[in-house]
Amino acid sequence: MNAVLIALLVLPLLGAALTLAPVFGPDRATADRRALRLNTVVTGAVLLLAVALAAGFDHDEPARMQATTDVSWIPALHVRLHLGVDGISLPLVVLTALLTFLCALYSEKRLPNGDTVPSAQAFVGLFLLLEVGMLATFAVLDLLLFFLAFEIVLIPMYFLIARWGSGAKVPAANRFILYTLLGSAVMLLGFLLIGSKAGTFDMQALATAHGSGLSHTTQVIAALAILVGLAVKAPAWPLHSWLPDAHTAAPTVGSVLLAGVLLKMGTYGLVRVLLPVVPDGTTTLAPYLGAFAAVGIVYGSLACLALARPGSKGDLKRLIAYSSVGHMGFVLLGIASLTPVGVNGALFANIAHGLITGLLFFVVGALKDRYGTADLDTLAGATGAALYGRAPRLGALLAFAAVASLGLPGLAGFWGELLAMFGAFDPAQGLSRPAFVTYMVLAGLGTLLTAAYLLIVVKRVCMGDPEQPAPVAEVADLRRYEAVSWTPLAALTLLAGLWPALLLSLSNPAVKHLLGGG
Amino acid sequence: MHLAYPAVLAALLFSVGVYGVLARRNAVLVLMSVELMLNAVNLNLVAFDVWLRDSLHAGQALTLFTITVAAAEIGLGLAIVLLLFRARGTADIDRATALGDPAEALATEEAPAGAEALKGQATA
Amino acid sequence: MNLALPVLVPALPVLGAAATLAVGRKAPGLARPLAIVPVAVSAVLALVVALQLGTGRTLDAATRLTPTGGPDIALALHLDGFASLISVLVGLVATCVQVYSTAYLKKDPRYPSYAALVSLFTAAMFLVVYSGDLIVLLVGWEVMGLCSYFLIGHHWETADARSASLKAFLVTKLGDVPFLFGIFLLAADAGSFRIPDVLAAAGEGRLGHPTLIALLLLAGVAGKSAQFPLHTWLPDAMAGPTPVSALIHAATMVAAGIYLVARLLPVFLLSGAALVVLAVMAAVTMIGSALCALAQDDLKRVLAYSTVGQLGYMAGALASGDREASVFHLVSHGAFKALLFLAAGVVIHAAHTNSISVMSRIPGLRKRVPDAYWTMGIALVALAGLPPFSGFFSKEAVLTAAEHAANGEALTNGLGPASAVPQAAGWIVLISAALTALLTGAYATRLFLVAFHSPTGAAAAPRVLPAADPATAAADHEAGAPYSPEPDEADPATAEPPAMRWPLWVLAVPTMGFGIAGLRSDWLPALLDGGPLRPSGVTAVTGTGLALVGVLAAYGAWRSATARLGTGGPAPAAEVVVADPGRTLLGPLFGPARHGFGVDRLYDALFVRPVAAAARLVRFLDREVVETYVRGSGAGADLLGRAVRLAQTGNAQTYLSALLAAVVLLAVLVAV
Repeated sequence: MNAVLIALLVLPLLGAALTLAPVFGPDRATADRRALRLNTVVTGAVLLLAVALAAGFDHDEPARMQATTDVSWIPALHVRLHLGVDGISLPLVVLTALLTFLCALYSEKRLPNGDTVPSAQAFVGLFLLLEVGMLATFAVLDLLLFFLAFEIVLIPMYFLIARWGSGAKVPAANRFILYTLLGSAVMLLGFLLIGSKAGTFDMQALATAHGSGLSHTTQVIAALAILVGLAVKAPAWPLHSWLPDAHTAAPTVGSVLLAGVLLKMGTYGLVRVLLPVVPDGTTTLAPYLGAFAAVGIVYGSLACLALARPGSKGDLKRLIAYSSVGHMGFVLLGIASLTPVGVNGALFANIAHGLITGLLFFVVGALKDRYGTADLDTLAGATGAALYGRAPRLGALLAFAAVASLGLPGLAGFWGELLAMFGAFDPAQGLSRPAFVTYMVLAGLGTLLTAAYLLIVVKRVCMGDPEQPAPVAEVADLRRYEAVSWTPLAALTLLAGLWPALLLSLSNPAVKHLLGGG
Repeated sequence: MHLAYPAVLAALLFSVGVYGVLARRNAVLVLMSVELMLNAVNLNLVAFDVWLRDSLHAGQALTLFTITVAAAEIGLGLAIVLLLFRARGTADIDRATALGDPAEALATEEAPAGAEALKGQATA
Repeated sequence: MNLALPVLVPALPVLGAAATLAVGRKAPGLARPLAIVPVAVSAVLALVVALQLGTGRTLDAATRLTPTGGPDIALALHLDGFASLISVLVGLVATCVQVYSTAYLKKDPRYPSYAALVSLFTAAMFLVVYSGDLIVLLVGWEVMGLCSYFLIGHHWETADARSASLKAFLVTKLGDVPFLFGIFLLAADAGSFRIPDVLAAAGEGRLGHPTLIALLLLAGVAGKSAQFPLHTWLPDAMAGPTPVSALIHAATMVAAGIYLVARLLPVFLLSGAALVVLAVMAAVTMIGSALCALAQDDLKRVLAYSTVGQLGYMAGALASGDREASVFHLVSHGAFKALLFLAAGVVIHAAHTNSISVMSRIPGLRKRVPDAYWTMGIALVALAGLPPFSGFFSKEAVLTAAEHAANGEALTNGLGPASAVPQAAGWIVLISAALTALLTGAYATRLFLVAFHSPTGAAAAPRVLPAADPATAAADHEAGAPYSPEPDEADPATAEPPAMRWPLWVLAVPTMGFGIAGLRSDWLPALLDGGPLRPSGVTAVTGTGLALVGVLAAYGAWRSATARLGTGGPAPAAEVVVADPGRTLLGPLFGPARHGFGVDRLYDALFVRPVAAAARLVRFLDREVVETYVRGSGAGADLLGRAVRLAQTGNAQTYLSALLAAVVLLAVLVAV
């Protein structure tokens, strides 16, 4: 089993190294094609490995770390190469492998190319490096390794945005990397503080200690530093402003991975590091985190509403980016409640958001390809783009994704929001009940506003008079490669919605373990 | 002999050297001031070596070492000053500010690159 | 009892919907059977389940759906008389609607998705009815909301349908958010999401804040069951195809709210305040909607407002503590309202218009659609509450319940003490119900007379055919009132295809006969709580009398208006080209009533504009405030860099001086 997990990390790294070798053929077209094929093969193999890992996972004991490897790496710094997965990280590993594979599949047909972009070889190398970083973030159990993996991700993503993006791509990429680097630096300080005070960077040892041996002040300072660093990544209001720019500029696959995986790294870190390692500090800070989360939910939804309004020149990708701020607010609220219910909800919402927003970005990216713009006003015209009539399958898929995103019961988006709100309704001991009930009410308001803007988007994009003049005469309906790379997301959204135990029975024991209950 | 005499003498020499380095304009004089400071240190080394009765005489050895290094250094320094004089026609150290960051250069560059990179696209 | 049967009831339509969506486009021939058969089988299974269960028994079964870290969520089944009765109604109406739709949307290319959504809608309602777990119930509850959203937006080419669908979803969602919080409160106090556990907790007095819970739940109920003040979506929802209206109004969506309160009535009985609120809500809804119905010109909107009013009756019965009467009225109303809508669909199909004033000028409309004419007449009599049709019996049950509650001897049938119901609630319901009976009689008569019996039709027909005279039609028709042209759905030559005619007569049977079910205590009451449902003397006479007065008043007003029009008398404004008794009866109230008393404007001022303003504010904040500190950090670093640059003069002596100063400073610091 542990060999599978190591192979999961090494395989894409080897693939990335291979792209540096001049083995892809004489002319650029051939080389590009082969490189992209290599990308699909490697990510496909990684997905298979991830599935194997999930299959070999002992589902009776999701709270136990499995597939562990624990060898000394830098003895002077007490850094160990410690890998493993449990019920919290396993779904995220599988989600990451799945999304990268689908993105690779999609980019094989739809890589933005032209004279200005570098070769596909470079793309594949960066893409695989990105996958290594993302998978490693969820698989490592050492604070410094976690930081390392967290940082590895930034570089490829920076280049994906800055080289393969559109619009104001370089400023957006700069802002992305500076913002997140600043956050990570603060986070590193927190890690170092914990490491120096506790004498180890090992997450499991720290989690077992559950904060004993760390004074309250240390815990609060460390928790604050880590919280700020991870909140930038999540992103929590008001540290979100890199996200809309990055999403607007990023290529489709970049957006999908950014929303689907990168944001999850922040919330995963909160659950994995903050809750078990510095519990006292977290309890002190949780009400503030909850407040920022609740404000973020409403704020994100209102920002989306402002963008969705006719005449506001709203960009669809930007709108979905803001909707991510709202949705991640639910995740943060669930975590802030510090109850098993809330944290379970947060983890579920994490996965659900990855699936649904991934799908949304795919669909919107396809729209942008077809129309040449994602500007809502241009798309909709006076009455609406009438996608139901002009490209029925695409329209139906967009409506499905929107409906899932607004948290319709029976689809994946619902359970996370429900449990996060239920967690906030009855927060852990030591937290102010009235404050959290207020947050819950705000979150409830947020669900209403979320429904409003998503349905307005559906109204303006899917509905409308098919007779009105449109910017593009013929809109191609769902293409084959699009259907292939999107259907798994839609199917999983439905599956997770109908059978939430799939994820919750994995995360529940692990969460209770982390919270110190068992 | 009491240790105070060489120590005070060394301190005075050093102070004269510091004054020369900081206040003289001519590069040759600045170099000479540096020599004064070095020799103040040498004096201290020798005096303390005697006072401490060091069996290895590390202070004296180090003094010899310093004298050698100082000779090399003054050679190099004078060569640089000579080149400077040939190039500029002056050995005035106040004028040799080519490595500085003059105010007019600040005005012309006016930070387009650095500031723009941070400014993202205007939001919303 | 075999659990597979009740599980299949909601599952079959879901599978049918999936199959319809999957093959609908490729094999249009299969779409119709795939739409009808699963729903019909489900209806039969629902009947079988009801028969197997019999009277006076309940069935509870559960399996864990998922752990949550707190109370588990269970896939639970809770079957009792209420559930089986309503599931049979749902099955019957849904089957009729599916059969009817095959003809009504014959030429519609979007029929497969439509049929799939109707099936899904039916399944969701079955889920609500059968579920024994509040969260699973909520799933069905919201899926219904979504299906209604899509179905109302079926004609998405038209602006009305687009905005009506959005409005329907958002207004019901506005109620669903507090509803969810109510469920949280219930579950937190009871320690479980299961309905039997919740009811047990209510019985043992373990609920901490019954009034708060009840009020929060009521918000959701008001949204779904279209009670004041969340009723505004329902009249606008008429932009959807007519069969959908029948489905929404009769058996599914709006019934869900009433059903939920009936299910959780023991919780409501713990709070007198909540019952009074419910009574006031019901009273305002009843009277307001009846007045609105009297003034509408759109046939479907009249029926929509009448639905709102009849739901008010049901809510009133619940406020009186008698869920039996409420569900009795729910079922009989379900039958006759479905009939009314389906018949209205036939009429609209034939007349090419929704406007009754335009219909009144079509010659011989009633002869072109005889079945619809007769069945509509039957259903309207039932609606007005005249004996011997079902509406009379069920409405009497409501009045009796209210009367008992007003006397302080509420018919709670053992769910709680009679004193749990405040007498005020009874009085409020009783008075408003009596007043509404009068108004209902009036608007039912007006609808029938204006649509089918206008003498102007014969006189004016040769020159003003509505299709040829859009100006008149436009003048009659409210500007801004939703109006669905349904262009692809009408073919006057075959105004009543069999697939549309048969469902009418099938539904006419319960409309005429179902009321008798309440007469004997071992029939319907035995299935429900066991209380009597027989009409009692005083209320029966009063109610019928008031309804008759309403009918006669409308008739009289219609006669005089017709006479005035016939003599070319004082027709005050150009648009009064038909004899509308509503105008005479309502007088100055007519204008406001026609526009729903401006509730929409209230919403606009209370919700829409503040939210839009908040959105603008956020946009401003994001662009100016959040952005400012982000840019500020960049600019700050830049300024710092410039400050450091200033020190870089190039003068080595300056550097050395600074160095020396720093060394001295450090030396002093270390020494001291």
